[in-house]
Amino acid sequence: MANKRTSEGGADRLGPELEGLLSRVPPPKAPAWFAAKTLARLREQKLSPKETWSWRLGWRWMWAAGTAALVVGWVLWDKPAQPAEISDAMVFAALDALVEQDEENRWWAGL
Amino acid sequence: MAGEVSDEELMTRIREGDEEAFRVLIERHQDRVYGTVARMMGGAGPEAEEVAQDIFLRVWRSAGTYRAEGKFTTWLMTVVRNLVFTRAGQRKRRKDIDGEDRVDEETGESLMESHPDGSTPTPLANLAYADLAKAVEEACRELPENQRMVVHLRQYEGMEFEEIAKITGMSLTAVKALMFRARESLKKKLSGYLTASK
Repeated sequence: MANKRTSEGGADRLGPELEGLLSRVPPPKAPAWFAAKTLARLREQKLSPKETWSWRLGWRWMWAAGTAALVVGWVLWDKPAQPAEISDAMVFAALDALVEQDEENRWWAGL
Repeated sequence: MAGEVSDEELMTRIREGDEEAFRVLIERHQDRVYGTVARMMGGAGPEAEEVAQDIFLRVWRSAGTYRAEGKFTTWLMTVVRNLVFTRAGQRKRRKDIDGEDRVDEETGESLMESHPDGSTPTPLANLAYADLAKAVEEACRELPENQRMVVHLRQYEGMEFEEIAKITGMSLTAVKALMFRARESLKKKLSGYLTASK
């Protein structure tokens, strides 16, 4: 066991032989145009409709505004409706006006 | 240039919308990011390039929330890991990973890595190297994602296990266990080359 560990360079390593093999095949490098294309995409995103006022405002503000609107709506909805108050005097005045109108109509009709 | 600007300083400038600082940051880390993405996604090509670009665009957007608490590369590789795993999951749902060599759409050339020593190898040596590269690529591709990530970060980025644990969000023991399992799989898959190289 001790020999095995030594030959593989420790339990948490790949071992010199495997490491040597993998190091002969390094990961690919980024193409020469990579930075330029990334910056171009950044500028494109800045100009795209996705980057309009809603994007700049940030989703947190949008979320806060939406929640506030819901709360206000709920409070208004929950508020008991005020019953319409009509005083007796207003009712009698309206009836008097109707009677007076009726009398006037009758006079014009010669009745 | 008097001295190299630190990554943290570049991030502060990026937060203020400095595109030049962003360009410097990309050029400094593009090989690391692109190489990791390519290894994780099964090879170089337009898809790996797009994902690597997405990672840098995410860095730009996250600059406002970035806190220079640890090493910048640890934070960057965490972004890489998150996006690559998300994309890999999406891709897995779409199709199985194919084993074909990828070809540059513009030049028509194979995107398999070039010979690392920069020499002009003989056709026979070239063939042997291409064969080896393909075998290593395939062996890595067949590893589960977590194992592939751990091997890549350890072998090619030279990271410590503690750093890898932070990036992958796993315990130190779990990372070491993944490394062990990856080693066993790679040894089995590349046994022909290992015995030949003795």
